[in-house]
Amino acid sequence: MINRRRFLTTSTLAAASLAAPGLVTRALAQGEALKIGVPVPISGAFAANGKFATIGAVMAAEEVAAAHGVQVSTLDLDTEGKPATAVRKVQDALAQDGVKLFAGGILSSESLAMGKEVERGGGAFMTTAGADEITGVDCNKATFRWSVPTHGAINETVRPIIDALPDAKKWYTITPQYVFGDGLLNAAKAVFEEKGIEHVGNSYHSLTDKEFSGYLTNAIAAQPDVLLLLNFGAQSSDTLRQAVSFGLKQRMTIVVAWASGLEQFEALGPDICEGVYFGAQYWHGADSALNRELVAKVQEKHGFNPNYSFAGSYICAKLLLEAAVQAGSPDGAGVAAALNGLKYQGLTGEEEIRAADHQVIKDYYLLKGKAKADMADKDDYAEIISAGKSFLSPEDAGCTMPA
Amino acid sequence: MIYLFQVLNGIGLGMLYFLLAVGLSVIFGLLQFVNFAHGAFYLLGAYLTYDLTMRGFSFWAAMPLATLIVAGLAALIEAVLLHRIYKLPHTFHILVTVGLALVVQELVIIAWGPLGGSVPAPEGLQGVVILGDFIYPQYRLFTIGFTAVLAGLLWWLLEGTRLGAIVRGGSESPANMALLGYNTLRINTAVFGFGAGLAGLAGALAAPIRGVEPFMGIEALSVAFVVVVIGGMGSYTGALVAGLLVGVVQSVMTTLWPEGARLMIYVGMALVIALMPRGLLGRA
Repeated sequence: MINRRRFLTTSTLAAASLAAPGLVTRALAQGEALKIGVPVPISGAFAANGKFATIGAVMAAEEVAAAHGVQVSTLDLDTEGKPATAVRKVQDALAQDGVKLFAGGILSSESLAMGKEVERGGGAFMTTAGADEITGVDCNKATFRWSVPTHGAINETVRPIIDALPDAKKWYTITPQYVFGDGLLNAAKAVFEEKGIEHVGNSYHSLTDKEFSGYLTNAIAAQPDVLLLLNFGAQSSDTLRQAVSFGLKQRMTIVVAWASGLEQFEALGPDICEGVYFGAQYWHGADSALNRELVAKVQEKHGFNPNYSFAGSYICAKLLLEAAVQAGSPDGAGVAAALNGLKYQGLTGEEEIRAADHQVIKDYYLLKGKAKADMADKDDYAEIISAGKSFLSPEDAGCTMPA
Repeated sequence: MIYLFQVLNGIGLGMLYFLLAVGLSVIFGLLQFVNFAHGAFYLLGAYLTYDLTMRGFSFWAAMPLATLIVAGLAALIEAVLLHRIYKLPHTFHILVTVGLALVVQELVIIAWGPLGGSVPAPEGLQGVVILGDFIYPQYRLFTIGFTAVLAGLLWWLLEGTRLGAIVRGGSESPANMALLGYNTLRINTAVFGFGAGLAGLAGALAAPIRGVEPFMGIEALSVAFVVVVIGGMGSYTGALVAGLLVGVVQSVMTTLWPEGARLMIYVGMALVIALMPRGLLGRA
């Protein structure tokens, strides 16, 4: 069921589209509006992420509407973070609202399910979810992924820390037991094995856990040098907050492999984040032209800096809508053709959509929390330690793209 | 050693669960009212503590203030709205209080935003206690001691004072209490505010441990119901025993079977329902 409907109309912006005439190869039929569904959790444990994602998608829609003089409407679809709900919402949007474009899916489990549904419905779907399978063994013609998958996230966080801390030989992991967590854990184990690191233990937890003191006690008993947190969103915040209260920051290095970005820093505060390493898909301080432009626009319109949920949803929606404009239709085949192999200056610098598996090749960041006294402004929570691109080849990821 | 430590950790969790559940149990036991808004009062207690500490209040001032505000607000809601539905079937209680909980949750998001926040442990309790190879936050130790003292005071208040006798009398025979000149409507309002205030206090105490986020009330409500069902609806001692049992089971299971730790508390509840439908110490 659709929660809210936003309808954006532009009628006097033809001049804007003239500025980039090369982008449009076949005009949309007169009066034809582009519709984009934004299936993200707006309620439940991941609602904070979903709420920023919906605003990001709206901003992208407004920009595309303004740039090309087309009508664009966005439909918020509350997945509640549940695959079954997500699939039902996408089915309804495809069948009842004629939506073909979908930008969303924060959890891997819901994204995997929605990607298959959108493929069946002849649409195109771009997600920020992390499980390798999305552009790996479960890749399909309709599904694209902007975020670096779990393999890259681990390689761009764990490897630099192993290199920087050669004496830290014992690592302990805390992992949510679902496809995303297992993806991160398997990637971490592979790096540990290659680098001669002793994996002294792992605690699995469920997706509903809020209390992590028992798992932290297991970690303390294993006496690791590094505690690697492989959970996401509010759960990684809860784990980190409780780890700091147990004094673990003074006893070991703490790494959050997949931070949700600025929103997580805001929720935790600088005292907890100081000295902790965070892997991140996006950081508002990243030095790229599109990012600087986005930060300025979001500041002007909303008065805050874009976070990962906002930025990820923004870029996914923007890429899909631009591709639909270029293809002259929101149908999945045309959109996919426009996206495949596309190179562009993205939020993280140069980005490319790999045609073989629909994975965006982009940077992943390793951040380190700053002390409160070192923050230049209220959002300057972390410094970028390193950034890089690590991806399995489509073959190694297991993607056989259907013809 | 690790199991001993997990038991200690479980006692800490269990005391918080007790505090969370005892208000729900008191409200049900005395008013026969199923309060699905209990988690919302916990949420409010946590957010008010967060807000007050952000405004510069010390935690020691914020905690009682938040508790009193929640208790007062709950009493007002009871007096204006909830007392009208006491005599209706429990389904109406659920419908109204679930709606109330959703309203509170959305108001929290409007007031404080969808992101959560952290509440620092009070000065003097920010360190850890080192026990051999293990460490335990001082603040968590404080919550164990504080809640234990509070549990004793509550028992004394309900079982050993004239006020407690009036409250129990109001529950068991409102007509007789009215004949004796007591205003049972006011007694009910006070009991509801008291129970909700305990949830608010649990939220305030939990804030430095868990932080705050808008959906924390839902999780709290589910834990509170598990504790109340296991302990027995309306049983004060049952809430204490069940709170400790749930906390210890959850904590020990994180070592024995981490992925099933949370599941086990619900398995425990199912077993109690199957074998002892009134709970461990529930009234017949």
